Amino acid sequence: MEQRQDIVLGLIFVGLGIAAAWMATSYNGAGGIYPMVLGIILTLLGGAVALKAVRARSTSERTLIDAPSKMITAVVTAVIYVALIVPLGFYSSSFLLMLALPIALGFRQGLYALIVALVFILVVFLVFSVLLEKPLPREALGPLLGFGG
Amino acid sequence: MEFYTQALSSVLTFWPLLAMIGATLLGVFIGALPGLNPVMAIALLLPLTYSMDPLVALAMVAGIYNGSMYGGAIPAILLRIPGTPASIATTFDGFPMADKGEASKALKIACWSSAIGGIASAIALMTVGPLLARVTLFFGPAEYFWIAIFGMASVGVMVGSDPIKGIMAAVLGLLIGTIGIDSLSGQARYTFGQTWLLGGLDLIVVLVGLYALPPVLQLAEKCDLKGLSAAQLKLTDVPFKPGEIRSLIPTWIRSSGIGIGVGILPGAGGNIAAFLSYNAAKNASKDPDSFGKGNPQGVAAAESGNNADNAASMIPALALGIPGNVVAALVLSALTIHGLQPGPQLFHQNPVLVGGFMMEMLITSLLIFLLGGAVATRVFAQFQRLPGVLLVPSILILMCVGVYVINGRPIDLWVMLLAGIAGYFLEKLNVPLAPIILGMILGPMAEQSVRRALLISRGDATELLTRPISATLAVATFLVIAWPIFKAIRRKKANAAAVE
Repeated sequence: MEQRQDIVLGLIFVGLGIAAAWMATSYNGAGGIYPMVLGIILTLLGGAVALKAVRARSTSERTLIDAPSKMITAVVTAVIYVALIVPLGFYSSSFLLMLALPIALGFRQGLYALIVALVFILVVFLVFSVLLEKPLPREALGPLLGFGG
Repeated sequence: MEFYTQALSSVLTFWPLLAMIGATLLGVFIGALPGLNPVMAIALLLPLTYSMDPLVALAMVAGIYNGSMYGGAIPAILLRIPGTPASIATTFDGFPMADKGEASKALKIACWSSAIGGIASAIALMTVGPLLARVTLFFGPAEYFWIAIFGMASVGVMVGSDPIKGIMAAVLGLLIGTIGIDSLSGQARYTFGQTWLLGGLDLIVVLVGLYALPPVLQLAEKCDLKGLSAAQLKLTDVPFKPGEIRSLIPTWIRSSGIGIGVGILPGAGGNIAAFLSYNAAKNASKDPDSFGKGNPQGVAAAESGNNADNAASMIPALALGIPGNVVAALVLSALTIHGLQPGPQLFHQNPVLVGGFMMEMLITSLLIFLLGGAVATRVFAQFQRLPGVLLVPSILILMCVGVYVINGRPIDLWVMLLAGIAGYFLEKLNVPLAPIILGMILGPMAEQSVRRALLISRGDATELLTRPISATLAVATFLVIAWPIFKAIRRKKANAAAVE
């Protein structure tokens, strides 16, 4: 398992190195030589990792993801959250995330999650929007609730 | 001396003081929560400091760094769960002490030891830093090129379990550092026609992704739905025996020395300092068998060792512009955010700022004495009753808000997510993440230095090796890279001989 993972890792870096070196051939002068050299070194190092794994003949196990369903749930929820930040607004999407992610991960105390979500979002609002006055994506529900958007 | 009195008067004003107190408390809280670490916290904090006074921003970095190193000892002692990687060695004797009903005593020793280690380290920074900066006035582009390469090679070789993967990570960081407009020729590199890539990838965006997302995903995988019960966090007071505190003094001195030495070396972090200090205390003890069974000397050694690493790791960062670890890299980022160039000129052009930061490292170490006592520790321990599963979305929101406010671009959120997912898998495959960040920071400096050196010498590459300092640094770099290869060959030969 570990051996196969390292071979794939090495080959990915070989691919990255070759792509970087090849793209650098289109850059002029010293501005191209430096990334080209780096690409070649990355290719060699990736090759060394893969070769070392091939020669090691290791049979040891290395778990890549400890709890795949939980990890995938977290990643997918994070992707949906990031996708919703601009259309829905920062605070609305964050509030939804605070409720949805713990529940998706198996947390069943809805009221507890709701209280933590409200307190946390309030603290974030006070720190970032009131104290630091940082501009964040506007709330889509703002005009409907009379906040002016 | 005037350097420090001026700096002290700037630091002892309302906002820097408030920032130090708040950040030290926040640091202890972050360290006390397993899954959160100082790098993650400082990375999340940096984007918010853009509009702040540099001394206030650096006060927050110093507070979080020193506070979290002590905070990591709280779950290490109470639960045998190291709050940060640097507190692993604290579990060896801290938890057996708690098991014997001496948790409160162990926490007091950890608090005092952390403060003493931190103070010793800050004094080392204040004395060695300016001296080293003076030496670097003799450096030209060739020396800067080699010092950047030496820093990266050391970190690449030392931080991970596989030196090839470490160096590979550093080269990847160097390549990422070339994305955007080349400052010398003006041509766009690896931008794929995207205008948002012309300025390169933002270091903080990549750093927040690499360092904050993997622990968040691991917290989600652990899926802690309950938190800890009040009974698990109960502390009872046990008085110190006569002479017990005095017997810790030699350990504090020895471990602080070790921590400072390790801190100056690039690549070696607080966990190595703690392990070395723990082993040294065990070797020096008349009763080494008592270690691992609740010996207070073990807690004192580990905690003073890991805190003594903190300020010392800033010595090469401030004097040479070469960060030895990721927190030092973050401090350099904080300086560059405010338009300051790390390196020898920093000491001459901004003495109040450099001296002020050194003072802040010292004051936040002193604050651990005041803020990290048993009462505060009881309060911080209560945060561990919060179910881990509720921390996952909270940190994710802080990551997004921190990254978004840097440039106000949604694309940065996607870059952060991608960097985080890549970081999660790279860590699992034993590819260290620190060299990637150091490569991104040092890459532009290494490239500009080598190209300037070649321009000065009219393309003569021997210029990079013929000056005495650059030649020494080149040899040192070669040795750093060759040493693990030499060790591997020797191990192989020994194994072959054993088989025969």
